[in-house]
Formats: sequence, C-alpha cells, structure tokens
Amino acid sequence: MGAAGRAALPLLGFLTSIGLFAGTRGLDDMARGDQLGPGFWPRLALAGLAVACAVKVIAELRRRPGNRGAARPEATPGPAPPEPDQAGPARRLAVAIALIMLYVLATPAIGYPLATAGFIVAFMRLGGGRSPWGLAASAVLGTVGLLYVFLKVVYLPLPKGAGPFEAMTVALYRALGIF
Amino acid sequence: MAEVLANLGGGFDNAFQPLNFLMILLGLVIGILAGVLPGITMLNSIVLILPFTYLMGIVPALLLMIGVYCGGVFGGSITAILFNIPGDPMNVPTAWEGYRLNRKGQAQYALGLAIMASAIGGLVSALCLAFFAPPFARFALTFSTVEFFSVVVFGLASVSVLGQASMSGAVISLFAGIFLGTIGTESQYGVERFTFGVPFLRTGVDFVTVLIGLFAIGEILEQLASRASGTAGVPPAGRAVPRLPLLDLWPLRGPLIRGTAVGIAVGGLAGAGATVSSFVAYGLEKQVSREPQRFGTGHAGGLVAAESANNGSTGGAMIHLLTLGIPGSAATAVMMGAFLIHGIQPGPLLFTRQPEQVYTIFAGMILANVLMIALGFLAAMSFATLMKVPAPILNTFIVVFCFLGAYALRNDMADVWLTMLFGVLGYVMRRYDLPIPPMVMGIILGPMAEQYFLTSMVSHQNDLTVFVTRPVSAVALGFAAALLAWPGVRQVRGRRQRVVAAAPGLTGSEGPISSGEGSAGDPPRASS
Repeated sequence: MGAAGRAALPLLGFLTSIGLFAGTRGLDDMARGDQLGPGFWPRLALAGLAVACAVKVIAELRRRPGNRGAARPEATPGPAPPEPDQAGPARRLAVAIALIMLYVLATPAIGYPLATAGFIVAFMRLGGGRSPWGLAASAVLGTVGLLYVFLKVVYLPLPKGAGPFEAMTVALYRALGIF
Repeated sequence: MAEVLANLGGGFDNAFQPLNFLMILLGLVIGILAGVLPGITMLNSIVLILPFTYLMGIVPALLLMIGVYCGGVFGGSITAILFNIPGDPMNVPTAWEGYRLNRKGQAQYALGLAIMASAIGGLVSALCLAFFAPPFARFALTFSTVEFFSVVVFGLASVSVLGQASMSGAVISLFAGIFLGTIGTESQYGVERFTFGVPFLRTGVDFVTVLIGLFAIGEILEQLASRASGTAGVPPAGRAVPRLPLLDLWPLRGPLIRGTAVGIAVGGLAGAGATVSSFVAYGLEKQVSREPQRFGTGHAGGLVAAESANNGSTGGAMIHLLTLGIPGSAATAVMMGAFLIHGIQPGPLLFTRQPEQVYTIFAGMILANVLMIALGFLAAMSFATLMKVPAPILNTFIVVFCFLGAYALRNDMADVWLTMLFGVLGYVMRRYDLPIPPMVMGIILGPMAEQYFLTSMVSHQNDLTVFVTRPVSAVALGFAAALLAWPGVRQVRGRRQRVVAAAPGLTGSEGPISSGEGSAGDPPRASS
C-alpha cells in the first residue's frame, strides 16, 4: 500500500471528527450556568482524534519511499518474494463479509434456525470444508444444539422469522420438544 | 490477629458444611461457564441466580454468589486465550497476550498460567480481605470522584504502552474509543449525543458488541483474507490441554506480585473494579518490563499481571461491601441486594453483630480460589479440546456464537449489526496497523472518566487544580504522566546508548536492550 493509500484512513478520520465536532454546538444548550455541558467531553475526544489523525496523515505522507515497507512489521529486506495472488484472498474476504451480513439480514425474515443452518454450510464451505456430509451434519447438529442451549436453558427469544417462516420455526421447535 | 484467626477458623468450619461447600462448588461452575459463554457475563449470572437465593439462608446464598463471582472473573480468560474472545472486558489484556501465546503453540502454558495467576491473585486478595478489611476501607472512604478520575486517567495513560509500533495509531484508536463511548443519552442532562435519530443508539454502543466485533469477527476476517497468501491463519499448534506451571511461575513472581497488589489496591476503590485493575496492571507491567517490545506478541508476564489483578480485585471490592455497606463493583452491588433480601444491612456493625457470617464469607472466598485451580483446569481441558476442531468448523461456530452473544445483550438485532460492523472495522484496523486495544480501553474507561470528571467539576466549581492538590489524585496523575513520558525517555536513552556503542574504539555492538533470553516473559518451549 502506498503512502497515499495509508494516509487515506487517517484522513477520513480527520474529516469525520471535524464534521462531528461541528455537530456538537447544540449539545450545550441545556448546560446550567458556568457548568460544563454535555458537549464538553465529546468535543475533547473529537479534538484529540482530529489532532492524532492529522499527525498520522502527515507522518504517512512524509515517510520516505525507502521506509514505506517498514509500515508493516513483516516486511523484510532481501530478494522480493513472489507476489501472492491477491485476488483470491480479497474475493474470499468479500464473500465472507457478504455472508455474515446476509446472515444478519436473513435471520429476522426466515428465522434463526434456518438462517443459522444455511450460514454454517456456506461459511464452512468458504473456509475450506469440502465433505457434503460434514457440512450437513455440522449445520443440523450445530443448529439443534444451539437451539437447545439458548432456547431451553438460557431462554433467549431467538427470532422466529416472518410469515410462513414463523410457523415453520414454531413447528420445528415443537418437533424438537423445545416448545 | 489471634481474634481474626479464631474467627477465620470458625468461618472455615461453617464453609466446610456440606451445603455451604456445595454452594461454593456450584457457584464456581456457574461462574466459569458464564464467563465462557458469549454474551453471558459474570454480572448477568450473579443477577440470574439472585432469585434462587431467596429460599436459602444468607450464608449459602452468599457463598453461591461468591463462587459465581470468583469463577466468572476467571472464566472469560479461557475463551480469551483459546479464541481471542474475552468473556468480559476485564479479560481483554489476557486475550492480548494469551491468544498470542496460543498462536505460538503455547495454549497449555497460557491456560495454566491464567488459572494459577487467577487463583493466587484471588487467594491473596481474600486473605487481605480477612486481615486488613477495616483499615483499608477507612482509607478508601476518603476518596472522591477526583481520585477516581485520576485512577481512570492512569488506566487510559497505559495506551502509551499499547501503541506497539505506532504511537499515533494508538492515540487515534484511543480517542475513537472515547468518542464511541459518548454515543447515546448523556447521564447528567439526558441529552442525546450522536444518535442521529436511531432509536437503539439512545442507550449507547454496548462495549460487548465492540469487544466481540473487533476481536473475534475481525480476527476471523483477517484469517480468511490472509490464509490464501500463506501469511497468517495458521491453526494453533501444540496441545492445548493446560499443565500446572508451578515451576514456570517462579520467574514470573514479579508480575504476579505486582498484578495482585494492583488488583487489591484498585479493586479496593469503590467503583473501580476488575476491568480497571487488569488494564492498570497490564500497563504497569509493560512499563517495568525489560522487554516491553514483546508485549502484545505473547508475553507471559503481561498475562500473569492481568489475570492476577482481575481476581485480586475481588477481595478489594468485597471490602467496601462488608465493612462500609457500599458496593465496590456492580457484582458486589447485586450481592448487597442478597444481604438486604435476607434483612441484613452490610456495614461496620456486621462485624460485631454477625461475625460468624462475615468470617464464613472470608473463608468461602479463600476456599473458592483454591477450588478454582481444580475446576479451572477441568474447564480449560474441556474447552481446549475445541482446539482440535478443524478451522472451517471452528471459525464458523465462532461467528455463530458472536451473533448469539451480541443478540443476548438486549434481544435486539441492532446489536448484532453493530457487532458485525465492528468486525469489519477490526479487520480494517488490522490492515492499517491501528492497534485495537486502545479503542477498547477508550470505550470502557472513557464514560467512567467523563462521569468522574464532570462530577468533580460540579463539586469543585470547575477548579482544575483540585486534581493536583489532593495527594492521592496527584500521585495517580504523576504516575500517568510518567507512563506517558516513559516510552520517549526510553527511546532517547536507547538512541544515546546506540551512539555510545557505535563510537570508534569501542568493541561489542550489542544493542541497548538485551535479547531477553531466559527472561521472565519467555514462555517455555511447547511440549509436544
């Protein structure tokens, strides 16, 4: 990653903290007399954040090209190693994040049991799980085990889903003896 | 002294009664399990068992709660070491070092150290409670929000030792954490801050969502992203079954003593608790260590200091409850509820009116910490077998447990969303070399600092000098300043020594800092 790339995140932090700082003006309207208002502490934090981000941006931009490799501790001098395939890991990461978000999004709609079983299969497959029997067994046994522990023992009201999925989840709970 | 010993003897007699002994054991098991399960904190478990104590006598009820308290403080360290998921905020420093030791194939060593350090810290703390409770409580009673603010600042100042390679990165992370801690409804005026009209943000960002997201989800994303390029994601090596590291503890006696002392002292401040104790002990340990650069890479001294401190705080927190009737932590506040339910008012009169009960509680704490060694090993062995589970299965179920842990906070999917978003942030922070621990410190200690600071300002008419004119506060702030200045001083000294070593005519070009071979922080080689 180049200096500009490494400076991007602290620059974003700097701009965000400035914007949020400006938004704290109305917070002290309710402050009594000469007392510090509710905006004091966030302003202190945001000012500190803005200064620290500015220092980081300057440090990244001033870093000499020869030192750039030192940004990551694993960078070592010597013959350059073969360039790893970056597309694979990036794709894997993107799919992992998408799967996690889909899992959270789907749970209220289709219910916890179905969403969890589906997520287990998909995420294990992404992680390198190949055996269909292993995937299926993990999904079924894992979901049923979690349902018993968190519904029967901890009494956690897990999302049942909406519409037909709710009826399906309740039927599953009844079949498992949870309800 | 003789009277204390006689009373303590009577206390042990009572504690060994079958029902009382069973309650201690049961409490420890519940506490350890609660510490291990995501989303179920030690405090939650004490609250959950409170209704079950209605039908018990006060002694078995309190022994049950003490068992949960001691077990719960330790329990979270198991998942912190094995999966980088701290069960409670107090286990965060344990995760920093314990998980790194695990990744080096030293899981058994780390688990053993955590168990022994917790037990010894808790045991010494319980003994101090029995012998020094009344005078210590009188001293702590003189503390006001001014002193508490300074102690929290001391905890925050330890960010200087958490910076690793990038001090500016650590400061960014810290201030971002402090800012996140301000989101929600402000306590003094009831003003909403940075909620942007989102209802669930009114109650603030729960630090558990931050913890789970940054540490567990971020770690899994990092593993998935880097595994293909062969740079990380290596499954933990070696056996994870803990072993009794009695001999290994001897070189670590310094961190053990310092951690326990910090735990007792900080735990003895009403409201400070185990979290502040473990952060302060960890920060202090890095400052006094000869190899501070190895902290964060699996340093046994850091692990021992943090673990002995958080269990060491248990006795300190009980001091206030028993001698003054003031709960020293959230957990002891619930215990106070148990006292009141049974019609007993904790306080100085408790020692004269019901000495048998008081000393049974002391004996119970001592016993709980001894029994924790055996139960801790059993629990760690059970959970350590999970390390044999293939990575795809383990990672998947960690995400599922993180989901449950976040959802269990308020039965709200919004917390799950926040956790997952913090997971992505955790990955980004890793990629940009922004240290995560300071952000966690900021979000946990920031609100405490704000509350103590604003209350102090109201009480002292905005007079800032009060922080340096009160002796205890001045000392704490002095230590904080020294903590912040120390890395700079160390850097200048190192530079000077390198200049001297490189000067013509001098032989031997060793660096100013020794390699640390055979030092206290070195874990022994993994036994295969």
